[in-house]
Amino acid sequence: MSKNKTIAFTVKILFWIAIIVFFIWIFKNDLLIHVYQEPSRFLNLLTQHIIIVLISGSIAILTAIPLGIILTRTKFRKWEWLLVNIVNLGQTIPSLAVLALIMGILGIGMKSAIVGLFLFSLLPILQNTIAGIHSVDEKTLDAAKGMGLTPLQILWKVELPQASYSIFAGIRTSLVINVGTAALAYLIGGGGLGVWIFTGIQLFDNAFLLSGAVPLTILALLVDYLCKGLEFLIVPKGIRLAKQSVTNNN
Amino acid sequence: MIKFQNVSKTYNGNVKAVKDVSFNIEAGEFVILIGPSGCGKTSLLRMVNQLETITEGDIVLNGKSVRDFNKIEMRRKMGYVIQSNGLFPNMTIEDNVMIVPNLLGWDKVKKRQRYQYLMDLIGLNPDEYKKRYPHQLSGGQQQRIGVARALAADPPIMLMDEPFGALDPIIRTRLQDEFLQIQREVQKTILFVSHDIDEAVKMGDKIALMRHGELIQYDTPANILLHPRHEFVSEFVGEDRVLKSMSLYTVKDLLESITLDTNVSSTQQTVHEQTTLRNALSVLLSTNSQKIKVVDIEERPIGTLTIDQIEQFLQLKAGQKGA
Repeated sequence: MSKNKTIAFTVKILFWIAIIVFFIWIFKNDLLIHVYQEPSRFLNLLTQHIIIVLISGSIAILTAIPLGIILTRTKFRKWEWLLVNIVNLGQTIPSLAVLALIMGILGIGMKSAIVGLFLFSLLPILQNTIAGIHSVDEKTLDAAKGMGLTPLQILWKVELPQASYSIFAGIRTSLVINVGTAALAYLIGGGGLGVWIFTGIQLFDNAFLLSGAVPLTILALLVDYLCKGLEFLIVPKGIRLAKQSVTNNN
Repeated sequence: MIKFQNVSKTYNGNVKAVKDVSFNIEAGEFVILIGPSGCGKTSLLRMVNQLETITEGDIVLNGKSVRDFNKIEMRRKMGYVIQSNGLFPNMTIEDNVMIVPNLLGWDKVKKRQRYQYLMDLIGLNPDEYKKRYPHQLSGGQQQRIGVARALAADPPIMLMDEPFGALDPIIRTRLQDEFLQIQREVQKTILFVSHDIDEAVKMGDKIALMRHGELIQYDTPANILLHPRHEFVSEFVGEDRVLKSMSLYTVKDLLESITLDTNVSSTQQTVHEQTTLRNALSVLLSTNSQKIKVVDIEERPIGTLTIDQIEQFLQLKAGQKGA
């Protein structure tokens, strides 16, 4: 145990040293120059990027969670297998191909990027919603039913609170991947930080590349932390404590 | 109060789980449904609160078929306790206990008083456990909370599906004793599923013994043990059924029909008159002398008891139909 901890600690230290060295190198060579030389352009791209992620992400959340809830109702359970497989298939197609296909239908622009990313964000949330609701103990549901809770009350008071941890994990995964994939929006004229990244790649220009890539990474980390914060606020305390005690016991 | 009228349950068209079961439960009775696994006892219980549909026959509550009740409202008027307690991990102990009163929209003051009362009843400190979560409690404590939750809205009927089955023997015995104490106070009509004949004899006013979906014998524990009406009954209760029946009687019961020798000077070992005959016999067998001294609550000697007298009493009981 202590050996593992030492290894984990060393890796952490090395990681932070690498990051510090990386940033020293960046600032020494003025590689983020575009961020502070063209602040309005930077803010424009950043806003576009955030809008793409925000819209596609929220539509995905608003679709996947209700879909997951419907598919776990007894009446619709037989469709679960089919739908999850369809969405799974969507996930297997490379993101670039999805974007290309959608561009073929909707033309170029931010709209196509949003639709593509929406499709891509569905699966992790849908899967985790279904898994979270399935993980609720049958006996607990039986007790809830036997005490006279209506199906809707069981969903709100028992199933969703207990699935919330898993659902949030899905949202987090989905949004973080979404932030990264949104860089591809540039390829179909959707804008975003991908514009600088791809310009950098095409011109072999590290300054352009990193002016796009570094803020993108920071954005992904921010989204991750934000989700963690929301998770802390929304997931019921009892579930959080139960998860913690399980992890600690292992 | 609860009438089972030719109740049958068929699963998937051909598996008969319950076959033509009829019996009555009076208000305030503690009835144990017992039998080997797969005998249909749990199905029968779950048909009362409509968690399972009734295939044929009817279950009548106070003159009205359970089918004619609103399922949701009816369930709120029946306490339901299951083996693995089924507490909600996302809710605090207080929210868990008060779930049905919350659904029924009780006011705050009434809810607080009820919570205090219930926690006192099950012997857990109301304030200490209020904000805790189920996973922070031991199995025995969780099961006590499960019982409190079922009693929360003061339902006249309690349905209990092997509530103490998953606990270790020491905790189980303690919870059984506690629950008997609670029952003396709350006087509910209880339908209790068990697979443990000792538990059934200890807890029940009546025992309904089932096999392969059929009701074999519905009788008092004493009659089940001393007058089994079917070979299966005597088989199920075991060859030590006479010994088991002895835990139904105390020395005091024996005193009603048998007079003891009041010369107590020569005996050493002492038992109280509230001791069960089973324990008294055990004490008798462990002493060198042939007799033990019986004393009353205030430790005043009553007389001496011998093995012969116990035997005499049991033969008396076995002779009486419907002890």
